Amino acid sequence: MPPSSTNEPVILAKNLTRIYPLGDSSVVGINQVNLNVGPGELVVLKGNSGSGKSTLLSLLAGLDHPSSGDLVVAGHNLSNSHAADLTRFRREVVGMVFQSFNLLPTLSVLENVCLPALLAEKDLETTRQKAIELLEWLGLKDRRDHHPDQLSGGEMQRTAIARALINDPALILADEPTGNLDSRNGTVVVELLAQLNRDAKRTVLIATHSDLADSLATTHIRIKDGALTDATCNG
Amino acid sequence: MQRLMFFLRLFLWFSVRHLRRHWGRALVVLLGIALGAAVFTSVRLAVHASLHSFTRSMDFFAGTAEKVLVRPGGYLPEGVLGVLFTHPAVKDYSPLLTTHVRRADGKGDSFLLIGIDPLLDPSFRKWRIHGDRDKAVERWLELMREPYTVILTEPLARELQAGLDTRLKLEHTRNVAEFRVAGILEPQGLALVEGGRVAVTDVATFQELTGLYGLLDRIDLTFNPKATREAIEDLARELPPELELRSPSAARDSGTAMIRAYQLNLSVLSFASLFVGMFLVYSLVALNVASRRRELAILRSVGASPGMLFSLFLAEGVILGIGGWLLAIPISSFLVKYLLNVVSQTISTLFVRVQVDGLVLSPLEVAVSLGVTLFTAIMAAFQPAREAMGIAPKEAMEISQTGARRRRAARRLAAWALGCIVLGVPLSLMPGVAGMPLPGYVAILMLFVGFSLMAPWMLERLGRLLSPLLKRFAGMPAYLAGRYLRDSGARTSISVGALITAVALFTALVIMIHSFRTTVELWVRQTVSGDLFVTTKMGQVNRFRFPIPETIVADLKQLEAGADYVPSRRYQLSYGDFPYEFEAMGMETFLKHGGFVWLKGDPEKIRPMLVKGDGVLISEVFATRTGLGIGDTFRAQIEGSQVELPVVGIVRDYRTDGGVVFYSWSHFKERFHDPQWSGVRFFFKEPSQDVDARVAKLRNAIIERWGDQLDLISGKDLREAVLRIFDETFTITTVLLLIALAVAALGITTTLTVMVLERTRQLNTLFAVGGSLRQIRSMIFWEASFLVAAGEMAGLICGFILSYLLVYVINRQSFGWTFLYVVDWGALAWSLPLIIATALAAAIPAVRLVFREPPAALLRER
Repeated sequence: MPPSSTNEPVILAKNLTRIYPLGDSSVVGINQVNLNVGPGELVVLKGNSGSGKSTLLSLLAGLDHPSSGDLVVAGHNLSNSHAADLTRFRREVVGMVFQSFNLLPTLSVLENVCLPALLAEKDLETTRQKAIELLEWLGLKDRRDHHPDQLSGGEMQRTAIARALINDPALILADEPTGNLDSRNGTVVVELLAQLNRDAKRTVLIATHSDLADSLATTHIRIKDGALTDATCNG
Repeated sequence: MQRLMFFLRLFLWFSVRHLRRHWGRALVVLLGIALGAAVFTSVRLAVHASLHSFTRSMDFFAGTAEKVLVRPGGYLPEGVLGVLFTHPAVKDYSPLLTTHVRRADGKGDSFLLIGIDPLLDPSFRKWRIHGDRDKAVERWLELMREPYTVILTEPLARELQAGLDTRLKLEHTRNVAEFRVAGILEPQGLALVEGGRVAVTDVATFQELTGLYGLLDRIDLTFNPKATREAIEDLARELPPELELRSPSAARDSGTAMIRAYQLNLSVLSFASLFVGMFLVYSLVALNVASRRRELAILRSVGASPGMLFSLFLAEGVILGIGGWLLAIPISSFLVKYLLNVVSQTISTLFVRVQVDGLVLSPLEVAVSLGVTLFTAIMAAFQPAREAMGIAPKEAMEISQTGARRRRAARRLAAWALGCIVLGVPLSLMPGVAGMPLPGYVAILMLFVGFSLMAPWMLERLGRLLSPLLKRFAGMPAYLAGRYLRDSGARTSISVGALITAVALFTALVIMIHSFRTTVELWVRQTVSGDLFVTTKMGQVNRFRFPIPETIVADLKQLEAGADYVPSRRYQLSYGDFPYEFEAMGMETFLKHGGFVWLKGDPEKIRPMLVKGDGVLISEVFATRTGLGIGDTFRAQIEGSQVELPVVGIVRDYRTDGGVVFYSWSHFKERFHDPQWSGVRFFFKEPSQDVDARVAKLRNAIIERWGDQLDLISGKDLREAVLRIFDETFTITTVLLLIALAVAALGITTTLTVMVLERTRQLNTLFAVGGSLRQIRSMIFWEASFLVAAGEMAGLICGFILSYLLVYVINRQSFGWTFLYVVDWGALAWSLPLIIATALAAAIPAVRLVFREPPAALLRER
């Protein structure tokens, strides 16, 4: 799905709540979160460990169901979606970048990048070409036949970014993308995400402790104890 | 001591608690080990019980005799006692006669009747009549004073519902007589022979009952301590030349050797289940190492040595081995009860008569069982434990978990695999050791190890070959499955190794059993041919020692004009220490109606030679055991005749009395002596539809005249009984096979579960990047299909090679026989899909594990 050209919010959450049952008690992941992210925004979501960042990202990525509230992402209502709809959503609408890269060790770089498209049963040759272009753009052209255990941390994260982009998602979600990287590589990764936002007009949401993306974000959100405490827009 | 206590504490905290937390997986492994150990232990205990009963019986029977004087194939004249009485080398001697009798009303089984000299025998054998000393002496004297008195063992007395002074009518081949029970033996010595089912009478009574006036079975001897070897040789020279001085343990030793060979055979088969269970232990310990890598790195970073980590996981193997063995105890106690009967019947049918009184819990067998189980478990845990040793402390600092791509050791392992398989060839050609096909069994082990080591290379090849094809025809899940298995290395290969072992065993045993049965069917059709078989009453149990009386023979010859008859006389002889049977039979008539299953020699040339009495035919077992071949000379002392004849051919024979030598009856009579008839079979000259009616008519005619002295069985019933016995002997093998398959299925379940659990993060990543639940589950089923396909293909090939080893090496060296190699394609064809289905069903628990926890929870960074 290409970047949204309308003004419809990419993320619209109303009273979004996720509670995890834990034996006899329960743990509140997020509580009554209201969020509105427009197209082409670069959002930095900050919060301490256990604040609910990952919970919110899981919901936005269609990996989890909210306990209550409404959630619409790129026009897809995730509150009550069926498994098949969520699968389609994860393939076509959102691209995830993880802290631990989460590349499949038995696949090469090129294969890891092609993976979401092939799962979506897209044409192999077209996918392959696109993947090569992405890898070229990310400076990984010469590494395409290598396996993850032959890459550095920065190279792995760039591969993960390429994978997240292969299906032209409307939204890119990054969960601590620089968490396992040194500052130089972290800066590179953040720059790439910013470039995607700036040049390709992709909506990007980065959950992070790091300050690397602060100056590049269009919107800053703070989350604490499952609730949004602050949301500021830069311009 | 302190270090040991620390290690135990750490083991408890680190390993035991982890095992308890994941008790489901541990339970599956324990169950697999328990099944394997139970089978192995039960089989060994069951055979040991038979071995114990047999050797004890033989030892008590032999008593203190240093030598035994016999007349091969016949009886000793009593006159020989005079020579022994006067010879200076002889200290003591005791004459002995044995036969089997039964109750005259036909109820109950036959039992052993021993005829002894009550004055001479106590020097050789322990036996004591129940009661105080005076009473016991009185009853002992009654044996000599009063004819037709008998002393019974307690179990036999209970069985016959007899007590002191009870009158018992007992039936023998030649006679029926009433005995008075003069005493009951205390349960010691002679009273423990043949499972305690023994009766003792005086020699004179015995001779009168059996008609063996002036004849003895054997005379047991002890020599003066100062008797020199020359003196003993002098004694041998003084005795008639047809007599032999033998070791009293000869019969025991040959019987023991046969039972031990059978025990080893079954032990190896049952060990296969333990071997397969070994894969389960490997899977679990390897999973524990892989999934707890970070924790192990932390342990290293806080001071644990590599040796400590190695010991922790080796100890896990030990715990699993001990736990599995303990769990095997209740399973064994159930299994052994079933096996005890089946095994003792098989041994009695195939080798030597045994009467098992009960299970004997041999400490040695228990120790062997525990030792083998522990050794297997430790060997299985060894490699993962070594892997744990190699974890570096700095891994504790690493947050990312790329998941190591397995190093490409597949080619190296394949080279080792080829080496192992090739090594099996010279091993299989080596002769047995002490009558046991030990090199053959090592060859089998090399085969299993070799094919198991081949698994990583096979999976790699399969993945490389099939993945691109499958991507086109079966989609991404199949492709991903192929790619994963291609690179997964040893972990998945273990499960394939387990399946290869089980499928190979299954294939080999299906082929072996079918080959054996087909050959036995052919043998039964040809050699056990005949419409009606007649022997003396209780002829079989008394080993045909009592010929059919001449009056009956004359009558039988004239009985049925429409039938040909083939007389036969069987002699139980020994070639060195090896017992065999010599059969003189009406060769010309037999070859007209029946035949032999030829192994060596041209039948067209051999048949006329047999008819003319130019030589003997020997069975394969006899040839294997004695080393005699075509052209060699067969020599034997048979009753009063020294027989020397050339060997003209070798045939297959599966008679349960061991090796057989065939010769023409009429020429035996002409050249040596009149062997008389121990049996005769009738062939109707004209084939007709109503054979059963004709057999019944002939049978009734014989029973009418001589029913009280002869046993009869139709050829059809005899052939069916023989085949039934062979089918029953393979019951145990089938049970062992099914258990091995069950353990292999557990292995598949465990490995697939391990594969899912190890890759939880990867599978959830697939989910996160757009894989549907259906696609991911499909991928796991494809992985299972690849594993099973690889296991079955290799298992089939391994199984065919193994079947050759079983038929042409193991059976030949263990029991002396081989069979025609015949493959039951039908059984293989329907059973292999069944194995595939079972293995895939075993994948279901693993598939269900996927997304047992929400992907979001698993993908979160901790």
